[in-house]
Amino acid sequence: MTTQANNASEGKILILATESCAYPGANSVGQAHSSYPANTYILRVRAPALFPEKFYLDCFEKGIGGIIIMACGEECPYEGAYTALAKRIDRVFQMMKKRGYDLRRLRLTAICTVCNRAFLKEITQMNELIQELGAPSNDIEAAAAEAAS
Amino acid sequence: MASDNEKKETEKETAEEKIGVYICHCGGNISDHVDVQKVRDNIANLPGVVTAYTNMFMCSDPGQELIQKDIKDGKINRVVVASCAPSLHELTFRGAIKRAGMNPYLYEHANIREQVSWVHDGEKATAKATSLVAAAIAKTRNQEPLDPIRVEARNHTIVIGGGIAGLRAAHDLSARGIQVALVEKSPFLGGQTAMLNELVPTGEKAGDLIQALSRQVLDDENITVYTCTEVIRYEGYVGNFKLTLKSSPPESKKDLEKMALLADKNNPSREFVPFAGIYPARVPDNSEEMVLDTGAIVFATGFQLYTPRDGEYGFNENPEVITLPDLIRHLAEHPSSGRALEIGGRKIERVALIHCVGSRMIPGIHEPDADGNLNEYCSRTCCSATLQAANQIRERHPDTHVFEYYRDIRTYGRGHEEYYERASDNHVMFFRFEPEDPPVVERSTSGRHPLKVTVKDTLTFGEELEAEVDLVVLSVGMEPSNIRDLVEMMKLPVGADRFLQEVHPKLRPVEVANTGILLAGTCQAPMDVGEACSAAQAASVKASILLTKGYVELDPFVAEVDPEKCTGHGLCAEACPIEGAIELQEMEADADKVKRAEVIPALCTGCGICVAVCPENAIDIKGWTLKEYEDMVDAIVAI
Amino acid sequence: MDTDQVMKFDALIVGGGIGGLQTALDLADQNFKVAVVEKEATIGGKMILLSKVFPTLDCASCITTPKMAAAAHHDNITLFTYCDLKTLDRDTDGITAAVTQRPRYVDPVKCIGCRQCEYACPVYVSDEVQGGFSLRKAIYIPFSTAIPQLALMDVENCSLCGKCARVCPTEAIDYFQQPKDFVIQARTAILATGFKLTPLDQKKEYGQGEIENVITSLQMERLLAPNGPYQRVIRPSDGKEPDSIAYVQCAGSRDKSLGIPYCSRVCCMYAIKQAMLLSGSLPLADITIYYMDIRAFGKGYEQFFQNAKAMGIEFVKAKVAKITPGENQAVTIRYEDQEGAGGVLTREHDLVVLSSGMVPDWNPMGVCPVSIEEDAFIKSVMPKIAPTLTDLEGVFVAGVAAGPKDIVDTIAEAGAAAMEASNYLNAQKRKQAA
Repeated sequence: MTTQANNASEGKILILATESCAYPGANSVGQAHSSYPANTYILRVRAPALFPEKFYLDCFEKGIGGIIIMACGEECPYEGAYTALAKRIDRVFQMMKKRGYDLRRLRLTAICTVCNRAFLKEITQMNELIQELGAPSNDIEAAAAEAAS
Repeated sequence: MASDNEKKETEKETAEEKIGVYICHCGGNISDHVDVQKVRDNIANLPGVVTAYTNMFMCSDPGQELIQKDIKDGKINRVVVASCAPSLHELTFRGAIKRAGMNPYLYEHANIREQVSWVHDGEKATAKATSLVAAAIAKTRNQEPLDPIRVEARNHTIVIGGGIAGLRAAHDLSARGIQVALVEKSPFLGGQTAMLNELVPTGEKAGDLIQALSRQVLDDENITVYTCTEVIRYEGYVGNFKLTLKSSPPESKKDLEKMALLADKNNPSREFVPFAGIYPARVPDNSEEMVLDTGAIVFATGFQLYTPRDGEYGFNENPEVITLPDLIRHLAEHPSSGRALEIGGRKIERVALIHCVGSRMIPGIHEPDADGNLNEYCSRTCCSATLQAANQIRERHPDTHVFEYYRDIRTYGRGHEEYYERASDNHVMFFRFEPEDPPVVERSTSGRHPLKVTVKDTLTFGEELEAEVDLVVLSVGMEPSNIRDLVEMMKLPVGADRFLQEVHPKLRPVEVANTGILLAGTCQAPMDVGEACSAAQAASVKASILLTKGYVELDPFVAEVDPEKCTGHGLCAEACPIEGAIELQEMEADADKVKRAEVIPALCTGCGICVAVCPENAIDIKGWTLKEYEDMVDAIVAI
Repeated sequence: MDTDQVMKFDALIVGGGIGGLQTALDLADQNFKVAVVEKEATIGGKMILLSKVFPTLDCASCITTPKMAAAAHHDNITLFTYCDLKTLDRDTDGITAAVTQRPRYVDPVKCIGCRQCEYACPVYVSDEVQGGFSLRKAIYIPFSTAIPQLALMDVENCSLCGKCARVCPTEAIDYFQQPKDFVIQARTAILATGFKLTPLDQKKEYGQGEIENVITSLQMERLLAPNGPYQRVIRPSDGKEPDSIAYVQCAGSRDKSLGIPYCSRVCCMYAIKQAMLLSGSLPLADITIYYMDIRAFGKGYEQFFQNAKAMGIEFVKAKVAKITPGENQAVTIRYEDQEGAGGVLTREHDLVVLSSGMVPDWNPMGVCPVSIEEDAFIKSVMPKIAPTLTDLEGVFVAGVAAGPKDIVDTIAEAGAAAMEASNYLNAQKRKQAA
């Protein structure tokens, strides 16, 4: 069972949801009144290709526990944006690794306008993960400890 | 002067942010689960917030008037509404703000119904609603007024291709009040339709339809027809394209063969010449170039027929193997009604029609051509056309027997299934083959008929059946016309099937990624005449939408470069998926010549790829800036 | 006539499905004022009820909702949902249509779509939108993406308990609402009245809808939809995951015994699509398609068909003669095998889907003097060079109203109808000016 206590130590999940697919998908979950953890913050984006690598790392630095990019996948309305995004996320993963962050804190996924189950599954998984991992600063400390030993 | 005033206004409007926050109860939908009063209290003292209300129904007229009054009283210059999903009422509130005299983009919407009260409960719901409202406040603090981008658009369209789709589009656009240049490469109008006789299922003469449409086009003073003309250069963007055309004497074998059908090539006419088309103007003696400015481009470049490979079903090796268009032409030009069909003095007692030649090819079974291409698609029109020819033979020449070799009969169109039934009634014999075991055409040794067709017929449980025939007819499919030059010039998307590729088959079926270029007819996929005309009209209506206002209005959400920050790396131009949307331009800065990135708003789709790659943070998407997102994240983390 | 009840537009569109909406948008984007009259309580037609669409496998809702929303928010488009078209004719003023607004028993101005009434309602009714597989309330919003988001009361099933009226935060419930007649005047009209599935109550051989676990293709669309009744594919009789699913093609098409000799154009492709989706959600299930000819003729369709074959979906060229209940709630199919060994064979399947065809959803007789063809679809007078022209001046037709068509072809034709209508409007304006 996931706990739903909403205090800072619980960690927050940032969701970047595309305005043409995933954001309406999140609304569809709302219309179905399917409850999910409240530590989730959905930001509406046109195309997540907008965000540079640094944005993600800054988020972790600021204490965001996990980020789910809910994109349109191949249905992306912007030519070339999805490919660019996928490549960028690969680079973010490399940078996360370097800094010692657990890579599972960042997820790239495709969510459609009525993909309620997929949406809930992503959130549940990420929430379980960040409950287990704790704050992102833990990762760095753990990585540093490992490197030292 | 006016612009100075406007600037001052804008500066005044945005100088110091005064944010009004309006939180909706939604009649209990929100307030039953979110303590809206507490949310109000939590955010009321955030920097910039000057008023914060809750209201039973923000979307109602009294709710909207609350915002409008605060705007008119000069109390606020930013609006945050927290209510249902923005898809429901974002436009409602934008409209209300605009009507109150404020820029509608100085507003942000927090979704606390679908994404809070309907999915969370209790204190957590209230806390999350507070965070989301705080994030919206943070975002709106940096917002700038935006206006839709207006691009002047020329009331003119160039239609490339003078076949049935091009003619249809030219006529429709002109009827809508748009000037048209119809550019046709060959000396003739009518395209591939001119190579047909009677059309399925109406039986209308192709020539009559071409003639009717061509007359309308040629009599129309708003349409200029350029035959023997090609597009050789392209620049610009929607509303303002510049195309260079080149007219030159016809050279291709096909054109010269058609020219030979003319009674007098010095005497153009509006009469349809069967199997050539309409010859509206004398062919030029010399090459000549000209430049045309236009607002939109309609592609009606059509298709070409598949040419069977040497030896494919005996083609090019046996004179008795012809294509379906050859047969159609023969039947049209020899309307005699002998008991048996005759071709070149030879009596045809038995004829084999083979379907799917150059269509429905399967990797691993069929051989690709020299360029590695395989026509995996169905050509859509050949089944009905083959059955039409079969019926015509049977009904006109009862002593000629017809055998059809097919994979699936695809008489899908309205009134087409009847041809299939009639063929059965006419005792056409059907053999069905699998692609792995196609019929084999060989010379016959019996001496009775020159050819022998052997097939593993799946309708008789895989039995190998032999038929001796006098004629084999190949139902050849469609391939896209060779428009490689145009594709490269305009950077047009092409699908795996080599036809032009639309943005999305349902959302934007006649548009390509390049705004202002539209697809009409078989340049996009195989179609019959009716479908090509539909597609041409669908393309024309999109051109009309773009051009009839005199300007094209585009969303303001495009990239913007801060020239102060830009150092001319050019990474943005490299990363941009749209040719020419962002490019380095030379400009003066402190008396030095430097390179700086510049956006062509009419080409930019606002995807933001350039924002992410700029090492100087010099680019932003208007209305969706990176700073706004960072501030939102800060707000979420803070509360 | 009460002059307050006359509304004037440039164009009237009958039908708010994907075809009607596309025509409406293409006209409204040129600044023409458009009225859309829809008989259902929401726009979106049949397309919004589909799971995914061929050949791209895009989610149907994701493609339909943007067009629905664009129409709903458009300054130049007025939607009239839950309305019946009584008459549509032309006179010297152009098109005049008499329309009746059926009562929702909910004030559309007051209703905020919050669904409190729906939650409070104690009456459960079979939900036709979900293929009859789940229940809805007697007061309800048709589905989550419906436009407009207005509740409506199903008076036939309402128990008049008053709970909805008590919980409604805006006092929108109105038990005494009456039908309202009004007149729409326009200069042109477009008929986009769409289709319904071939009714199979005539087809004795296929069980006339009486056999358990024989469902229609639209019901299967709901089972496959992410927001469907069970959110997974189970067979209706006992909730078992089917191990073997069969598709019966041409169930109500190319069938003279039903008076439907024509091909419905979409059934091959949607069966293949559903088969592909099923093999995703039930990877162990055997899927068989009984067909006469596979008609995969559109752009990318043949490749889609070949992919399905490569995925292991079984295609059997056969004419299905009879469908009967089998053992353990299975379904027995008797078919005439046209390949392989031949003869009449019998096979059992856990679930059988009838690939039903299309018949027109609207008969103009007595409503509008526009001609239909023998196939009962509206007559196109120039099907080759102007496919959307009818025999009534100023009235055009788009989509399945003029014969079966898939979504892609419907959308193209909707654009064509919009072009004809704009040119008709333009010519009239010029005439008036002269």
